[in-house]
Amino acid sequence: MNRPCPDRRDTIADHVLGALDTRQAETLREHLDECSGCREYLASLQEQSESLIDLGREIGGGMAARQERAIEALREVAPAGSQRRATVLFLSGLAKTAAAAVLLLAAGIAIGRWTAPRPVDVERLRADLESSIIASLKPAVQESILAQADQRLLAALSANDAKLRADLGRQVHEDLCLLAAQSRSDSEELVRMKFGELVDLIEAARRTDRQQVAKALDQIRTQTGRGLYTLAIRANDSTTDMRN
Amino acid sequence: MDERSDRDLVKASCQGDRTAYAGLVRRHYSEVFLVCLGVLGNIHDAEDVAQDAMIKGFERIRQLRQGSQFGGWVIAIARNLSVNLLRSRRPAQKTLGTEAVSHAGPGESAHEDLQWALAQLPRDLRLPLVMYYFDGQNVKAVAEKLDISTSGVYQKLRTAVKELHDILTTQGDTP
Repeated sequence: MNRPCPDRRDTIADHVLGALDTRQAETLREHLDECSGCREYLASLQEQSESLIDLGREIGGGMAARQERAIEALREVAPAGSQRRATVLFLSGLAKTAAAAVLLLAAGIAIGRWTAPRPVDVERLRADLESSIIASLKPAVQESILAQADQRLLAALSANDAKLRADLGRQVHEDLCLLAAQSRSDSEELVRMKFGELVDLIEAARRTDRQQVAKALDQIRTQTGRGLYTLAIRANDSTTDMRN
Repeated sequence: MDERSDRDLVKASCQGDRTAYAGLVRRHYSEVFLVCLGVLGNIHDAEDVAQDAMIKGFERIRQLRQGSQFGGWVIAIARNLSVNLLRSRRPAQKTLGTEAVSHAGPGESAHEDLQWALAQLPRDLRLPLVMYYFDGQNVKAVAEKLDISTSGVYQKLRTAVKELHDILTTQGDTP
């Protein structure tokens, strides 16, 4: 096979592809009349092109069978609306939404910084803040002071109450002690008096008893004398009888 | 063939309607398969990956915001799956000193030789070539599907045609 002209190969390939206009095709035809190498190259490319078209038809002939095999394979695939897939898609959508939210947030921050106003007068801002804070805190401070005064007053009253209670207690204690002492002296006097009276009673009872005893002894003595006399008489009588 | 629009079929598929999705598969499978073949250069691998792409499309159909864009969407899935498969095989291919997807040598018939030669082409040239010759030879349609200019498609096609010829010629010259 003769080799084609190197500078004609592209033009010949374009001719096979139908990419040449009328003028270009005419120029090529004139060259082919004079160049056998380019004629053979063109014939070879055209044959190759026809073979490709034939191969395409052959492959296309089996296309219907391939389609049906693909459709058959789909029978074993879960439907598009299955729960698992819906969950996966939901999570995927959620992730995308989150990413979009992050991007929006970042964009918002960037825009906010870009469009932020100029820095304010710091001194004026501080003065405004102070006046604002004072105005806002004044009622609260007054309220606090009043509350503290109330607390102190209540505390003072509580302290006075405690002192009064202590004085009263002390006074009561002293009174009780005095009363106790007086009661004790009175009771001692009373005891002493009662003891005297008791001694007197005992002494009187003793005297009475002594008198009664003396009287009883006298009676016993009298009665004993009489008995002994009687006994003596009876004894004398008995003796006399015996002698008789 | 289901007469409903892609948008209606996608809407029904979102509700789990397999029949509606089967309609979408019948409508777009050919393009999906050719994209896989264009990237992978092997019919068997292309069929496997095209099927996986359709399954993934069914599983992810709710993620598609506009039903009318189903075709481009599922083609993008197929293309990504094909590229991932190539990347997963790349270490083994490097040890062989070639980027070819097909490990088979040139066959006896013309089409087997052509398939083998196609597999030897760089991926960025093979894909537009396959889409152009196997799907109606419409450069404008290829440009839209690959999202490149028409002139860019012509440039890639031109290079692909020349390189494919060189591969076949060199292979024919090999004793």
